[in-house]
Order: sequence, then structure tokens, then C-alpha cells
Amino acid sequence: MDPSFVQALVDIVGEEFVSTRADVLLTYSVSASIGYDRVVPGTVVRPASTEEVSQILKLANKHKIPVTPRSGGSSLQGEVIPQEDGLVIDLLRLDSVQLFKDLRSVRVGAGVTFGVLDKYLNQHKLWVPVYPDSSLVCTVAGNVAVNGAGPGSGVQGCIAELVLGLEVVLPNGEVIQTGTEANPNAPGPFLRYAFGPDITGLLIGSLGAFGIITAVSIKTFKRMEHFYYQSYGFDTAEGAERFLSELRHNDVSIPMAAIYEGRILEFFLDMIGEEYGIPQTEWPPFTVSATIGRIRKDQLDSDIKMAESICMELDGRVVGVPELPQGEWEDRMWTFVRSSYVHGWWWMMLYHHQAPTNWHRSVEEIWNVMDKYGILGQTAGFLTGGRSYNFYPQLYFDPVDREEEEKVREAHRELSQRLFKTGAVPFKLARYWVEDVEEMKPYLQFIKNLKQNIDPNGIMNPGILGGI
Amino acid sequence: MKPSIVNELAQVVGEKFVSTREDVLHTYASSASMAKNPVRPGAVVRPSDADEIAALLKIANKHQIPVTIRSGGTSLQGEVIPKPDGLVIELMRLNGIQLFEDLRSVRVGAGVTYGELDKFLSKHGLWLPISPESALGCTVAGNVAVNGAGPGSSLFGCTGEMVLGLEIVLPNSEKIQTGSEANPYAPGPFLRYAFGPDITGLFIGSLGSLGVITSVSMKVFKRMEFFDYNMYGFDSYQQAEKFLMELKDNDVNAVFTSLYEGPVLEFFMEMMGDEYGIPPMEWPYRTVSMTIGRVREDMLKSDAKLARNLCEQTGGRVIGIEQFPKNEWEGRFWTFVRACYVHGWHWRTLYHHQTPTNSHRSVEEITKVMDKYGFLGHTAGFVTGHASTNMYPHLYFDPVDPEDEAKIVEAHDELASTLFKTGAVPFKLAPFWKGRMEGTEKYMEFLSQLKRAIDPNNIMNPGVLGGI
Amino acid sequence: MTEIDLDDLREELLQCRRCGICRNSVYEAKGFDGICPIWRNTSGFETSFMRGKIQVALALLDGTLERTAENAESLYQCALCGNCTQICAAEFHPAHIMETVRYVLNELPNESRDKIAESIKSVDNPYNEDPSSRRVWLEELGLNVPTSSEILYFVGCTSGLRIQNIAKNTALILNAAKTDFAVMENEPCCGSVMMRTGRMEEARENAEKVVDAIKATGAKKVIVSCAGCLKTLRKDYSEKFGIEMPEILHIVEYSKELLAENKLKLKSLDNIKVTYHDPCHLGREMEIYEEPREIIQAIPGVNLVEVNPNRNTAICCGAGGGLRSYDSDLSRKIAADRMKAFEETGAKTVVSACPFCETNLIAGSKLLDSDIEVVDVVDLLRRAIE
Repeated sequence: MDPSFVQALVDIVGEEFVSTRADVLLTYSVSASIGYDRVVPGTVVRPASTEEVSQILKLANKHKIPVTPRSGGSSLQGEVIPQEDGLVIDLLRLDSVQLFKDLRSVRVGAGVTFGVLDKYLNQHKLWVPVYPDSSLVCTVAGNVAVNGAGPGSGVQGCIAELVLGLEVVLPNGEVIQTGTEANPNAPGPFLRYAFGPDITGLLIGSLGAFGIITAVSIKTFKRMEHFYYQSYGFDTAEGAERFLSELRHNDVSIPMAAIYEGRILEFFLDMIGEEYGIPQTEWPPFTVSATIGRIRKDQLDSDIKMAESICMELDGRVVGVPELPQGEWEDRMWTFVRSSYVHGWWWMMLYHHQAPTNWHRSVEEIWNVMDKYGILGQTAGFLTGGRSYNFYPQLYFDPVDREEEEKVREAHRELSQRLFKTGAVPFKLARYWVEDVEEMKPYLQFIKNLKQNIDPNGIMNPGILGGI
Repeated sequence: MKPSIVNELAQVVGEKFVSTREDVLHTYASSASMAKNPVRPGAVVRPSDADEIAALLKIANKHQIPVTIRSGGTSLQGEVIPKPDGLVIELMRLNGIQLFEDLRSVRVGAGVTYGELDKFLSKHGLWLPISPESALGCTVAGNVAVNGAGPGSSLFGCTGEMVLGLEIVLPNSEKIQTGSEANPYAPGPFLRYAFGPDITGLFIGSLGSLGVITSVSMKVFKRMEFFDYNMYGFDSYQQAEKFLMELKDNDVNAVFTSLYEGPVLEFFMEMMGDEYGIPPMEWPYRTVSMTIGRVREDMLKSDAKLARNLCEQTGGRVIGIEQFPKNEWEGRFWTFVRACYVHGWHWRTLYHHQTPTNSHRSVEEITKVMDKYGFLGHTAGFVTGHASTNMYPHLYFDPVDPEDEAKIVEAHDELASTLFKTGAVPFKLAPFWKGRMEGTEKYMEFLSQLKRAIDPNNIMNPGVLGGI
Repeated sequence: MTEIDLDDLREELLQCRRCGICRNSVYEAKGFDGICPIWRNTSGFETSFMRGKIQVALALLDGTLERTAENAESLYQCALCGNCTQICAAEFHPAHIMETVRYVLNELPNESRDKIAESIKSVDNPYNEDPSSRRVWLEELGLNVPTSSEILYFVGCTSGLRIQNIAKNTALILNAAKTDFAVMENEPCCGSVMMRTGRMEEARENAEKVVDAIKATGAKKVIVSCAGCLKTLRKDYSEKFGIEMPEILHIVEYSKELLAENKLKLKSLDNIKVTYHDPCHLGREMEIYEEPREIIQAIPGVNLVEVNPNRNTAICCGAGGGLRSYDSDLSRKIAADRMKAFEETGAKTVVSACPFCETNLIAGSKLLDSDIEVVDVVDLLRRAIE
């Protein structure tokens, strides 16, 4: 990288926070995404403020240097793999937290993780009730940029549903604020849908392609205190699917609910059953692991009854192993990470959403692909917002077996195509989902047009949005 | 409009559905927006589907004719006032309804009104739980384009929150589908946040300036059957505002919560009290009129009890009159229209949002402007979503007194400025906000940039988005 | 009619704040399932329904629109059915005010309006028929009915000259109940259509003629079998012209009395399923909804099913307000549309209480190629009389 450019960066953030050292660059050439090739950037910079980010982007834009914004580095689908000799902007120093108790909201800098925020809000008996599985490292801003989901999504939906506004540095270095805070006189964030078109939405899930989110304003809620954990068994996938839809339809508050196919659950419990203290159980063909949560005790009691009666109506049974959902919920900031790594494999991830009636189709296709390629893996889907399942299939490979990794990459590609045909949708617009899909071309063209206009020099995470 | 162009239009929609008659053009020169000077367009067309609309936009683009999209014609802030000699595309013929009961969603054409949809859904025990006050004339698509709110919003937020996807004809005539339905294999609408950035959001509240929404996919919910109606009185605005926030924090399912200032409520009662069967009485300083709704009876009872407790804890008193909120809720498709027109005045409205803890500031400013200019008016607001209040001040004038009307226009403009300074935000970026939003210049520039990217010839409702 | 104060008229028209719920409101809780039949059955531009018509009226009055036949078309392309008035949230009566507008603008050319008025003036009926044929149907019945009596059956032009079955069956019902009644020798037209189309001065002159003729019969009670005659004689004459009239009753009201007094004996009609069409002038204008239904339901073996929508939210047959003459194709199309709704009820018979509705619904039925029979309440009642 041009030393004068590096010097200009130093002028902005100070010597301490710019690096071109080979070891440093190496660590930024990868992220938590396994099964992706590393790409070594030219420089890493760690700005402390929105103003610094703005100056950096002005500079990068002038010199047409490709930029990869990065915060927790916890994304799993190659979202922050940099460009060769490009610039990585690490946002973890933007670590402010500002609570607006009266407005039921909080504004956090792009470097604030869910774990940090949760501890802070807990003092006020509040929370942001969606937790990505990577909560201890993942920043709120990063999760908004990929539009993730996780425990809590059963009631609230994906993280996008909680956003009230964003501070964004555009590729030209201009800073804009969306939501109510676009009005400098506003007492803080209280409404996302202010000032016409929902510009906030445009940035949600944009993977850093339209600009850098430097602050996120997000809804807070009174922390639930009353929980009930239960597993419900069904003989058919349809029964389990219907069960969750009916729960939401009848206003049962289930912040976390996942459907497990019998053999996948067995596999899962082989790994972590003991850690959870889960007794040996005759698992039904399909198990719903559910956490019911409420602010008020009488509501919880009512929900428990309702859930049972719906379960019975659908010919299900109450399995009576609370340890599974309890482990998932109480330990939600760690347990999913644990189960992702405890087994020792490496894996590729293929996040997607599936219609509420179609949970079984994803499971079928994942088995089909695992069988065809002779690979191991697992999947489950958790309810998101009452109308969708968030799937996180993992395809395992041995990190020291290059051939197996290749096989998994190929299987991963095929799986995305198969899943697409089942009607599944990605929330992250990775290239492999949409390339060669004729019907998606006008949509992609539209995004490309936006991209070209917002970022005419194409410096912001080029290629990340469906290849754009 | 040139006869040759009209001829081109006729070839798309057929002779019958294009008009350049003087009388017809005159009726499209205005809408339900009062105190707006009528502007006569050059032609009106009534297409039957998205393909026809695409062909119409091609013609408009070729000849650079400004296009105004209109459906119910019920908007109140000049959103569908055409351009001189421009083209009005009226969407009322796009009238299909497709229910996805398994997905808890519905897809409707741009000509479907809330009244029609509600009748359809009620047969299935379902509803779209938010309706604008103009529900009998307003289309769902039109309300998405202005991102309205209304009864139901106190729980569910604004209309934008209900959207799962949109079919859009872009200014360049390409047709795109957003949300899960972007995947042609998807079983229907089940998730808004699919395929990367939230393109859906970009069109919500876009006032027809970025493309034509030809079809909207919306969430549907089980129709609530259990309601509690009551009024709550407070001696200070702090108490009333605190009560509203406590209800939210404690998960009381208020579907419609309005906050009235004493004199405003008295004025309402003078107009409507008899029709509602409410005895004359002295209203407190602030009154909250609230409908709580639930799909389950025990939950309703619990909420109703808690609401009374919270009222008393915040220093208020339970008034015990149920007719008023009951009429507001049960009559929600008509009663607000009635209240808007029964008195005989014409008026301008100035929709805006204020945080509940700041809603008294809107009342103060509106009173100030009324005093300064010496006219009648009123304002009230209803709680919307997480932490906002939707205010709908009316400024009255005599339609046969041009001087009176001019005064109102002036007062209205001044009010936009002063409200902005209190921290209020518009959700409809109506033209009168232009120049009254100091500090939003960069935001507006970004919007302009998007507008140029999507509509390079600026044919789509130019000027409507805060002057863009 | 007194001079219309144009400022008052304008002020009243300005009660319309263009909210647009007079177009196609569907409001299940209040029974509305669409409002304007003109909007539904034309190309549907704004001029087709009341919001647009009021804008056109204002513009014609203040000169924004030039006063031409074409620009006034939408004012006449309206059945004045009043369904918009039912849904309107403002304090005025759009259908009634449209009549006033037509009157104020009656110098605008409108051939059908003028022809009808001329016909009524010269031959006492809007159909330009020979007035001497008015009692022919009585001769066919072989009834000996006087021309003066305490009770007068005011037959009306459509029953007297077009659908004489209604006149005959009305007479037979009265006869069966042993009611002595008279029918005029030279019955004038009530002038309803003149009022609707804006020929108010002629309507007043005509009304005076009608009153004199009725007085001459010595009637203390007048029975009509036409919803238009009812509204005109009972309501318009007094409200518009300040004319005192004897008691005016529609045959459905009178028949209800006869049934209550057991003056009619009814036999069973074999298990027939019928539906009822609310004529605008009987229903929305006079608020007579239950009497015809009660009569139908009083007949053993008759099963009444309701069409959607009905009563005060019923959709017009399309004949009223001069539309049948002004734009007969549209008028028939609206009737066909209404017949579709009747078909959906599964009934084989549509019963109405207005000869004008019946004429138009039959025309609509032909257009639709429907096999539903359209009859009047008196036809059905007569069938059941032993």
C-alpha cells in the first residue's frame, strides 16, 4: 500500500491505530468464517470516532482503495474477508453506550458487543431481546449489517425489527443519521419510520456495501423474569411446524423455539447432552425445544397452559425435558458457540430462512446433500418472528484434509441451489444464492444500480452483495 | 397532453381507461387533501396490472412526463396532487387478494381497500390489525406508500411494520419483487428481510417517488375477540405520559391508546358526544382513551387489571366510561372520518410523531400557533409502536373565505418549523417540510441521490419527498 | 321552489371534503359492500362517483369548467340512489344536493331530460304514450272501478302503461280485501323524473295539476304501487312545494294493514325461495324496509333469503335519477350487475316493490341471460290469495 496513503491514515487516527505489519495483516485476512480463503489486506486502521471513519472514507474514496468494515469479526459467511491490498476499518473502538430510558431505546457505537450491552442494560432491568449465537464477540452494529437473528427472535423477529435508527458514514465520507435522530432536536431514538422512505432498512443487511454503520439505535424492553422451559414431541414434521405457528397465532410468547429432527437431536446431545445435564430420553421423531418467557407471572402460566393444549390438539406430547431449552436460553451467549466447536470439526455455514410450513424441506435437502457428498453435518431451525425459521446448517470438514474441504465447499454451493428451489431465502445476499437465477436479475440489477450511485468508485466491500 | 402520446397510452390500457376529458382531469386535480391548490393533469389512465404500468412508465420516461401514482385518493397532505399536464396513473383496478393462511400472510393488489380486505380476512378469523382512519377509501398499498398508522398501531406500530414484501414497477419499467417472494419458488410471503438490504423499506413511505407499488404482502394475525375499553384521567401531562410508558413496559396489549388534552376532548365531545351516548362531564387535564385487546380472555382480564393499577400508581384515576374508546375502536373504519367532517370546517393536517414523553410539546406549539393566528383547531395523538405518538393536528378554515385559508396555510408552515424544533418528526415527508428541517441537509441529499439513481429523469411524483 | 341561493349551494357542496368513501366502501360491520354502482359499471374515473360529481358541480358553478353538455355528463350519470348519503360522514345529503345542482344548471343541454319533461307536459306520462289507454288494464280485469272514492289507487305511469300486471294485481288485492277504491280517468304523472333531472319549475306546475286531480276524486287516502310515486307525492310535494296532500300509502304498507286485519287469506306457495330488492325510493328515501319483507314472509311456503348488501346499503337497480333514459346501456349494465348478486343468493325469484326497478332488473336479467324471475310484491301476494 502506498506509504503516503498510510501516512494520511496515521494523520487521522494516530500511529498507534494503523498497521501494515505482516502479522497484523494476516490476522485480518480471515474471520470466524471457516471454509473461506484468506485474503491479506494492505492496511488495518482502528478509528476512534465517526469523524475519523468519515475522514478515512474520504481518503479511501479519493484513492479508490477497497474498504472492508469489520467489528467483531464473528461473521460466518465471509462477510469481512478483505480485498487484496485493501483497507480494513476495525470499528471496535467506537464503544459508547447511551441509554434513553424514557424512549425505551439505547444508542450504541459500532464497537459494542451484545455481551457488553446486555450487562449494561441488565443494571436497568432492560434488554435488547435478540441475541445472536455469537453474542460475546459480535457487535450490535455488525449484526445489523448482516441482519442476524438468534435466541429472542421467536418473539421479536430478526435484529432489524428492533432497529430505530442508524448513524452511517457514506462512501463519500458524509455522515447521515436515520430514524427520529435525523432531527437534531429529537430527544433521541423513538421511531424508525421517520423522514419518508425507510433509509434505515436500506442499510440493514447491506454488509457494509453502502456505507459504514457507526452507531445503532435500538429498542430496549423490560427484561422478562418469568420463564418456562419445555420440550414437545411430534410424530410428524408437519405437527411440529403447525405447533409453532399456532403458538404464535395464539400469542404464546416464545422467545426461543427450535425444531429438531430426531437423529440430529441425538447427534447434538451426544456432543453436549452431558454438559447440559440432559437425561437419557427416548426422543420423538420431531422435538420442539421451547422457552416461554413473560414479564408477568400470570401471563406465563396462561401461556404454559395454552402451549400444552395446542400440543395436545396437534397430537403431540409434552416430553418433559426442560434441560434442553433451559440450556439453550439461559446460556444463550455461549452454548451455541460451544456446540459449534465442541466436536472438533470445521464447517461451512449456510444461513437461510424457510417458510413456517417448510421447515422439513430444508432438513430433507441438507440430508440429501450430506448423503450425496458423504459428509457430516447438522441443522436445526429456530422460529423467527412467528412466520419463518432461521436455519443454520453446518457442513463439517477436517481442516487438515484439503480434499474434504473442497468437497464441502462444493456441497455448500449445491445446497444453496437446492434450498433456493425449496423456496428458502437467504437474509444475507451472498453471491452463491442468486447467481444464474433468471428471475432474480431485475432485483440484483436494482441493487447494483443503488450501489453504483451510492458508491460510484465501488470501494465499499466490493462483491459482497450477491457479487455486486 | 399531445394526442400522439395519449394514443400511446390508449394502446396500453385501451381507449376506455384513458381520459383527457376536462371534467375527468378536473377531478384528478385534487384529492382528500384540503387547502391544496388543484393542479390539472394532462391525462389519467386506469391500468389493470403491473405489466400495463411498466408499459406506461416506458412512455412517460420516453417523453419525460411527470407521473403521479394514485389509488384511493384519500391522502391529506397533497401526496397525489399531479403536475400540470402530467400523467396520473390510478391503481384501483389492481384488485386481487390472495391469502396464505399457513404463512399468516396475505398479498393484495394496489387497488384493494382496508374495508375490502378486512371483510375478506374476517371470514377466516384473521385481520390486518392496523387500519388508517380512512380505511373505507384508502388502499393498503397507498397506505404503505405513505406509511400511515391508525387504530391498532398502538400495539403493532405503523403500517410499515406489517409489510412482508412489495411488487414494484421501477421507473425504468423493470418489475421487482421484494421480501421472501423475490424467490420465485417461495410458497408466498413469510419474511421481509430476505436477499440482503431491506429494499422493501426503501419503498415504504416513498410516496410514489421511487416506483409504483403494484402489490403488497402483509402479515395477518388471529383476530382478537376480547377487548377492554376504558378512560383514564390525569392532572398533569407527566403522569399521563408516564402511564403510557408503563403500559408499554409491562406488556399491556393496548391496541389503541389516545391521549387527549382536556379542552380538545371537550371539543370532541361537543361534536360527537351525543352520537356516542356520552353524558356531558368535566374532563380532566389529560385523558387517555384506551382499548386493550387480546386473543385470549384470561390475558385480557390480566391486562385490564394491570392497566387500572398502573393508572392509580401514576396518580391517575379510572374514569370508567367505555363508550368513547369502544366507539373509537369498533367504529374505527368510520368514526374518525365522521369526527373530521361533522363540524363543517375545512382543515389542513400536519401529521407528525412525537415521543410520548414529549407529546405535550406538540400540544403547546399548536396552541401557540392557534393563538397567534387566531383560528380554531385541535390536536390529539395516539400511541404508535414502541415509543412514539402519532399526532394529527387539524387547523380549521372556512373554505369560502380565501383570506382565512391563506392564514391557515401560513400558520401550518410556521407550525412545521416549530414542531421540528421540539424534536417532532414527520413520517410522511410531505413537501411542506421542505426548508423546515434544519440539520437534515445531508440526509436529504442522500435521499436525492437515491432518487436520481432510481429515477434519473425525475418523472415519479417530483417534489413530493420534501421537495426532492 | 324558491330561488336557490348559490352561495348556500356552494357552501353545502363544500361539505364534501373529498374523503372518497362514497366510491367503494366495504364496511362489513355496517353492511356496506360497495357504494356507487356507476363507479363499478363504467370505466370508473373519478367523475363516476359522488366525490368527483361534486367537484364537477362546483367547477361548473364557479366557471372552472366550461358549461358544456360533456362537462355536465357526470351530473346526469347518476341514479341518485343515495347509497353515498348513507356512508357519507359529513353533514349533507349528496344525492339530494345533486338534484339541486341539476336544477340550477338546467340550461345545460340534455336531450333525454327535455324529452321526458315535454312528454309529461303534453301527454301526462314520460313514455309519450296515449293517455287515453290508462284504464285499459281495468277493462281487461273486468272490474268495475269508479273514478272517485275515499281511497284512490294512484297507478303511476309505469304500472299503468308498461307493467300492467302490477296495476292489475294491486287492484285484485284491494278487491280481495273488499276495499272500495277509485282509479282516475286521466291520471297525471307524479312528475318524479322532472324533479330528479332538474326540471323543477315544470315539476311544480305538474304537481299542482296532480293535486287538483286527486282532490277531484275526493280521496282521503291514496295508495300507490310505485316507490317513486310514493316518495314524490308523500315527501317531495310537501318539502319542495309546500303542498298539503292526503295520506299517501304504498301498497306494501297498506297490504300489511290488510294482513294484520285478516282481510287477506293466503294459501301456500309451493316452497319457493325468493329474495328482495330494496328500491331506493322506498328504502333509503322512505325507510320502508320491513313491510315488504313482512308481506313476503307472511306467505306460507315462501322462503326469503337476503341479498348482500340489502336494506339501507342495497345497491340500486340503475334505473333512477333519469339514468334509464340518459344512459340506458349503463342503466341496464348496473341492473345486470345487481342481478348477479341476486343469483348468488340461490333464489329463483327477485321481488321488488317498484315497477321502475322491475323494468330495469328484467332488462338486466336479459343482458345477463339469467333465468331468475323478477316480480313485484303485489304479484307474489296476488298469487297467494285464495
